[in-house]
Amino acid sequence: MNQSVWGPAQREMTDLLRDHPDDVPAVVDQLKALQQILGQVPPLLGENPLCDFNKLYLTITEGVLERLYAGRFKDPAFLSRLDVEFAGRYFDALRAWAGAGASPRCPEVWAALFQRIPGPDCRPLPSACAGVNAHINYDLPFALVTTFDHLGTDPIDDSDQHHDYLEINEIFAEAIPGLRRGYLEKWQLLIDTMNGRLDDWWQGEAVEYTRNVAWRNAQKLWGVRHDMRATDQERAGLDRTAAGLNKLLLSPLGAFLQ
Amino acid sequence: MGTRVTFMASDEDEGPLVGRADTLTQVQSDLHNAGPGGTSAVFVTGESGVGKSRLLRETASAMRDAGFAVLSGTCLDIGDASPLHPVLQALRQLDHSVQPAGDAGALLDRVSQDLREVAGDRRLLLVLDDLQWADRSTRQLLLYLLAGLGDVRIAVLAAVRAEALQGAHPLRKVLAELRRLRSVRVVDLAPLDRDQTVELVTAITGGRIEPEDADRVHKRSGGNPFVAEELARDLRDGRVELSDTLREIFLARVDELPANAHSVVNAIAAGVEPVGHAVLAKVVPLPEPELIEAIRAAVAHRFVASADDGYRLRHRLVAEILAGEVLPAEAAALHRRFGEALESAGGAPDHARLAHHWQRAGEPVRALPSVVAAARCAEELYGFTEAHRHWSTALELTTDDVPERTELLAHAAESAHHCGEHQLALTRLDELSRRADAPGQCELHLRRARYLAAAGRTATAEAEYERALEAADCTPRQRASAAAFLAELLLHLGRYADANARAHDALEMAEVNGSTADLVRASAALGFSAAFREDPDAGLAVIRHAVEIAERSGRPDELGVAYLHLAELLTGPLNNIEEGVLVARRGAERLASLGAGRTYRTRLLAIAANGLFRVGQWAEADAVLADAMRHRPSGADAVELLLARCRLWVGFGDLDAAHRDLDAVATLLAGGGAKHVLPMLTLRAGLAMWQGRHAEARAAVQRGLTETRSDDLMLIGILAWHGLRAEAEAHAAGQPVDPGALRRLKVAVERMAAGVGNAAAPVRAVIGGYLDLCAAEISRIEDRQDPAPWAKAATTWDKRRQPYPAAYSRLRQAEAALQRRVRKAVAIEALREAYATATAMGARPFAAEIVAVAQRYKVPLADDVDTVPMASPSARPDELGLLTTREREVLAALAEGLTNREIGELLFISERTVGVHVGHIFDKLQVRTRVQASRVYLTAA
Repeated sequence: MNQSVWGPAQREMTDLLRDHPDDVPAVVDQLKALQQILGQVPPLLGENPLCDFNKLYLTITEGVLERLYAGRFKDPAFLSRLDVEFAGRYFDALRAWAGAGASPRCPEVWAALFQRIPGPDCRPLPSACAGVNAHINYDLPFALVTTFDHLGTDPIDDSDQHHDYLEINEIFAEAIPGLRRGYLEKWQLLIDTMNGRLDDWWQGEAVEYTRNVAWRNAQKLWGVRHDMRATDQERAGLDRTAAGLNKLLLSPLGAFLQ
Repeated sequence: MGTRVTFMASDEDEGPLVGRADTLTQVQSDLHNAGPGGTSAVFVTGESGVGKSRLLRETASAMRDAGFAVLSGTCLDIGDASPLHPVLQALRQLDHSVQPAGDAGALLDRVSQDLREVAGDRRLLLVLDDLQWADRSTRQLLLYLLAGLGDVRIAVLAAVRAEALQGAHPLRKVLAELRRLRSVRVVDLAPLDRDQTVELVTAITGGRIEPEDADRVHKRSGGNPFVAEELARDLRDGRVELSDTLREIFLARVDELPANAHSVVNAIAAGVEPVGHAVLAKVVPLPEPELIEAIRAAVAHRFVASADDGYRLRHRLVAEILAGEVLPAEAAALHRRFGEALESAGGAPDHARLAHHWQRAGEPVRALPSVVAAARCAEELYGFTEAHRHWSTALELTTDDVPERTELLAHAAESAHHCGEHQLALTRLDELSRRADAPGQCELHLRRARYLAAAGRTATAEAEYERALEAADCTPRQRASAAAFLAELLLHLGRYADANARAHDALEMAEVNGSTADLVRASAALGFSAAFREDPDAGLAVIRHAVEIAERSGRPDELGVAYLHLAELLTGPLNNIEEGVLVARRGAERLASLGAGRTYRTRLLAIAANGLFRVGQWAEADAVLADAMRHRPSGADAVELLLARCRLWVGFGDLDAAHRDLDAVATLLAGGGAKHVLPMLTLRAGLAMWQGRHAEARAAVQRGLTETRSDDLMLIGILAWHGLRAEAEAHAAGQPVDPGALRRLKVAVERMAAGVGNAAAPVRAVIGGYLDLCAAEISRIEDRQDPAPWAKAATTWDKRRQPYPAAYSRLRQAEAALQRRVRKAVAIEALREAYATATAMGARPFAAEIVAVAQRYKVPLADDVDTVPMASPSARPDELGLLTTREREVLAALAEGLTNREIGELLFISERTVGVHVGHIFDKLQVRTRVQASRVYLTAA
């Protein structure tokens, strides 16, 4: 098992992933370090699709941390645990990645993004979206279940936890348009000024929509969490659906998004 | 041939262990190296077939040779095994059957006792395979043992399927928390690389292999040794086309089996392993000689392994493949035969196992009694999660028209409530309320309210209690009970006026119609709400009365609650700590004399210890904690005590013991328990500060800040102070202050200051003290060298009668004044006072810090105490005058050459307390060794 999928960054990557951050500040640190390392992965270096996602995720997690410190959440203990659990799954996927067809434990949905790291080049926005899709549609329901299980509470609509969970929608909404403008090149800027509002709206909706789906899926998983077989079936199902969406996002069709 | 067929060629037939030599050595050394708590653990994760079980076997055998007592158990994938299954199974192999116990904690204690007996004077290795199927009770037991609470010198070696950890498996979280501990390793068993695969293949084929074949095996097996081994056998045996999947490999093998052997394999695959010979003989109806021949064939074809306790498939993967090949009708018939065989076997039936087979036999009517029996058994072992699953299964087996369903629903709801499945508990209760023979309206509302309150849905719970009170069928007794519960709920919500009014009503009703429990509950709510509304005396009188009533009833639970409330009220809002401690200790003694109420005893002693800590009587606090730990607490009670004890170690400066207890807390919290995370982080920060690890202290506090609710003023207060102090100490040590951390700490302080106005008076007083400390630390960070804020803090904490923070403030006050060269006389006095307090408490790191400041500014700490470093050991005879009576007794015994333990036995105090006294004696006499201390004593005497 000597594949070096991360090229010259292999060693740094292995060392970094040896850590398992257990609080939100440590997650932010880990994502920052990751951003540095991912920028060294050839041939696309800082232009690779995972870099695009990681950058977005870092921004979002920094937003979460700021709000935690500012006391903006109703149940910070819940949100902190959730954030750590959530990020842990992304790091797990990275740990499991050993190249296409050689990573039985890497979820398909992540593999779909990871295998595009060496190219062919795809647009930053669909790349970041593919990561968001993997993370939210696949990782988030499980992170929610684990967090609720740990805290000994149920996922109930309109609870403090649900409120906090929805608060993150705003962070996404804030992060995505800003990042987006950062990516745009001249001709796209033109399209964006024409459709900008529409696109922002669409994207905001997408995030909110998928995140509610994640909450619903978490509630579904919650009911069967003691049944390993059922959980596993659900997991495989979620992976398939989300992976399908990712393949679409990363196809030439996905470029239309940008 | 007796009861089983032995498998002669076991070892030779197993392929060689390739590529695991380093791991094997590492695992053994990790297991040998016990952490500070005397325990160690290695969790091996990896995909199915990667060789986890093999690693477990090899390690177990090596450890046995190295003198460990070894116990092995396997978790079952039947989804609803009985509680503690793998451990009890392992114990049964050595003829230890664990008896039921009085409560969940007592059960853990009893299992530990059995494990200690099995181990004798050896260390114990507990090997658990397929831990991903472990029930909740087993996980809790594991954490209990690893935290050192069972007092078993245990090493745990467990295997976990990596596939299971991908989803939301509870073990995922447990392992994530545990892997931070020094005594726990999580080893990920990777597939073999190409060279290792070739080595394995070559060993099996005896060297006849073409390079391209080796490549194919590696590619197809993905380095999975189990698959590679089977493919290599195909090569060796000349099968031309290599199969692509494990499924194909095994299906081809199955086809080669003789028909009877095929039946044996299918039967074992359907059974719960290990399958005993007698049971198998009933399930596979063959004459004995033919059966044995069939088993031999199955063993020879490498499907089945045989051990003392019965037969198993060589790998569970095979069972999973075969399960897909058996027709549903065949499977049902097999399960029916298993059910019949187990029922006719005699002896104590394994209800969980029977239930499993009858369900899969498609015989709900026969399954139901077993399921219900399994649920009751689980409840006897406090496995509420398992019980809940059985009750739920029982519901699935019955339809609406079955009369028993009402009772099943009631059980299902209650067990869901007990294991924290709040939502499900409510759903079951809803269904129960729709039954024709449902309990009365009031009863249903009461139960719903209880479930809602447990789920933290307080507003809805309040409404339900109101409904219960208004229900037409509400008896006077129920009304008293509902009112008392409601008052308690309002108290938790901080609505003291409402709580007070409701408690008044409840008390009136309870006095006429209520049970003692209701009376005690109502009195407590009244007492606390009165105290919070600044009418403490009225509240106190009521709770004292409740204690009297409980005394008269003599029932342990009521006594426990009453004493607990009184002690909490006194040590909490009333800040009458001395009396609170007295009450707590008296309550604990009272319960001990009744031989009951173990949980209450533990909690009362925890209150006493915390109170003693606050008033600075640390040696006494230590003795109380030692007593409490002897009751062998578990769960949240254990966490409370460990945190209290750890706080003491941090104060005494016993860093190893502090680390040990913090590790134990972290171990227990890996199984859940969010509310204790913040105290743990605060202690971690305090410990790191004494060790000069500012970054570590900072990280602990910052994590705490992200997890505090804004209404937890008390917790924010302690945390913010620790954080600011860490920044100030870093600054003083010439290290940079983290501006971001500082900014956030200031925000937290502002939040606290803003929130304090709405808090109850007793809370306000404590928060005031922390606000003072925070303001003073900020002045230190800003280099203001201002004694004034510190003097203010000292006064506040004096008023709270808490000597430790007061003395700490005095030290800083003196330090600032001495730096500025102002009011030197006041500074010296403050420093001396702080020193006297520190030495009296045995706060060694703190005293050392005071001495360091005194030396820096050349201030004599006491007229007769030398502050020059390396004080001369020849103290004057009158120095014994500094010692307390107790200390003189200890010194006298010490001078006779007795050890701490012997002194403890002589004076009826704990060894640890003797150590504390000795520390005081050394400090006061300015000596460093027992010999020097003896000399001082003998010269003076």
